[in-house]
Amino acid sequence: MDAILNALCCLMALGTSMFLWRRPVSIFKETGILALSLVVFGLFSYLTMDLAEPTLEYMPFRMLALCICFSTTSLTSHKTRYLVLSQVLWLWVEFFGGLTFVYHGLDMPWTRIVAIGAGAFGGAFLSHISREMEFLLMVYWIAVWMFF
Amino acid sequence: MYRILVYIGAALLLLGAFAFGVSLWEGPTAWHTDVRTFWGIPISLFVLWIGLAHAGTLISAIFLALGYPLGRRTSMVAELSTLCSLAVAALFPLVHLGIIENFYMVVPFLDARGNFSNLRSPLVWDFCCISVYGLVSLLFFATHLFSEKFPDLKKLIRPMAWLLFPLVLWVHTIVSLDFAVTFVPQWRGAFFPLYFIAGAIYSGLALVIILLTAEHCRVRVLEKLMLGLSWFMAFFWLWEFLLKGSFSFEVVFLGAVVPQLMWLRVIRENAFGRLLVAFSVLVSLGLERYILVTPSEYNAAEYFSWTDLGLVSFSLGLFTTLFFVFRAKFSSLLEGEDVVMGEIVLQQDESDKESEKVSLPEKNDFSILRLPLLLGVLVTLLYVVWAISVENTNLAPLSVVNVVPLCLPLLVLVASFTLCARPLWGISGKRVKVVCAVLAGILGCLAGAFWAGGSSDVPSGAVSVQEIDSTKTAEFIWSSRCAGCHGQDGKFNEKFVREFYPLPQKLTPVRLDTLGEDSLVKVILDGRVNMNPYRGRVSEDEARGLVRYMRHLAGEGE
Repeated sequence: MDAILNALCCLMALGTSMFLWRRPVSIFKETGILALSLVVFGLFSYLTMDLAEPTLEYMPFRMLALCICFSTTSLTSHKTRYLVLSQVLWLWVEFFGGLTFVYHGLDMPWTRIVAIGAGAFGGAFLSHISREMEFLLMVYWIAVWMFF
Repeated sequence: MYRILVYIGAALLLLGAFAFGVSLWEGPTAWHTDVRTFWGIPISLFVLWIGLAHAGTLISAIFLALGYPLGRRTSMVAELSTLCSLAVAALFPLVHLGIIENFYMVVPFLDARGNFSNLRSPLVWDFCCISVYGLVSLLFFATHLFSEKFPDLKKLIRPMAWLLFPLVLWVHTIVSLDFAVTFVPQWRGAFFPLYFIAGAIYSGLALVIILLTAEHCRVRVLEKLMLGLSWFMAFFWLWEFLLKGSFSFEVVFLGAVVPQLMWLRVIRENAFGRLLVAFSVLVSLGLERYILVTPSEYNAAEYFSWTDLGLVSFSLGLFTTLFFVFRAKFSSLLEGEDVVMGEIVLQQDESDKESEKVSLPEKNDFSILRLPLLLGVLVTLLYVVWAISVENTNLAPLSVVNVVPLCLPLLVLVASFTLCARPLWGISGKRVKVVCAVLAGILGCLAGAFWAGGSSDVPSGAVSVQEIDSTKTAEFIWSSRCAGCHGQDGKFNEKFVREFYPLPQKLTPVRLDTLGEDSLVKVILDGRVNMNPYRGRVSEDEARGLVRYMRHLAGEGE
């Protein structure tokens, strides 16, 4: 996948994350936005990528995980907890997706997995997350997506 | 009310019992299979009931861990449904085996002679993860149930919920890998873990809504969640269509369209309306699991035999009977004559309990969990080091990828038992302690027996020396009888090794010489730990010819 498509994926994840967890928070609103985001990511993947490529079959879910990671920076309470949980979700998607590829003869994306794992582990020790730290985290996630 | 439901359950159970018996007797020919559909209705029902078993943990543990506990009745109903669903689900892999007397083959036991469970197979992960999930769920249920009588147990509930939270997601992820790691085109899916988890939670919510309706109560947050999940499931079905072109109108209509009726006040405020929607979701998910498990080019459901339907009836009947018998009878025995399980503190409307907060401070969770977690991590590390370093001629090389799936279940098992052992021991009576000690002893003996394996001594006696000379004949028998597992060239059938358990033997000259020809002939004819006997299908001379052919193959491999 080329750099422009990767950048577009990040941009879309960032864009949809802006609508999540805005007050008043409700089950319908949040699940609705998440489901709608998935539809957008799915259609985007279908229209712009060659889905015959096995590594793209979980693309919308990777984008959703990234979107949820971005969205945690706008939380007002329990930010550290959900920051870690969202990265664990991303790690989950990548690890088990990668595991199925290993059984089909492809390589495990270890660098990406270790990078996300490191982010989740490091995030657990953040007692206070400032605006600057939020920005740094977002840059880190984009870098993981783009380069690994 | 419970009595009527028990009668309904018993009627369904009796209707299906005959089909269950026939399935055990006849094996896989009893239900619908074809060239492509080698996993029929038993595995579909297994996947469905395992999915339903996740409701309890979702509703009780995950909500509790995140600080949004539900009412006690809701939690207990959900947790009990988990245990009953697990009991139902556990039966179907045994039915699927076809050879019920070889039931132990689903257990990944070790063997002193070198037979080793195939840790590369998701089926082995499956067994371990589901067993751990069952044990920890039982422990969680018991802790929750007795916490009203023994307030000391209350402080364990939330730490236990934190342990179960990842486990429940992990278990269904592993179930999804049974499919996703294979080469079947319809099961191609790196997204299957999320798909299965969403489906499990969706069906589990529907089940809990039905059970709560039978209790004459409702929890609105669960209905909202079910409706929200219907949108996610709709996307998963859309993605399946975009990726593979597979689409089922019935599944989408019942699972994604009908639930939208909950937007109508007249439906959601009416018990029958809620039941209609919840049943629709269950039927949809049941159908979806069947279509997924049986990837035929035609509609396999049209070829349902009476046995298939009987097994469905059996599973429904067994669950209903188990659940409501326990609910109506045993619960009062557990908590006293006047109360029914879960009703000790329940005096108010369940629907108002969504926002109730637990009194335990969050920091307590970690301080209570610290030591058990540390122990769990240590044991898990030991397991990883041992599994990767173990040297065994029959073992396909293991990598981190093969070992990681069992790490979390092992960690949670050790941590949860360490967490609960002392408080539960403290409140147990003498009789319970003796029973526990005896059970632990029996478990230890069983583990030892599994480790040691059975005897493979060759009995003394006359052995026919008549031989068959034709290598061609031996090659023909090898291709038809042995190559399926051992591979055409004797170096494993790679697909078998990747997907199934147990792992076949490696044919090396050293191993063949060690075992000796007579011993190998006996293994072929009478079977051994994981190998079925071929006496009656292969003559003694043919077996001897096969052993010679094995030597020939092993020699070629050198």
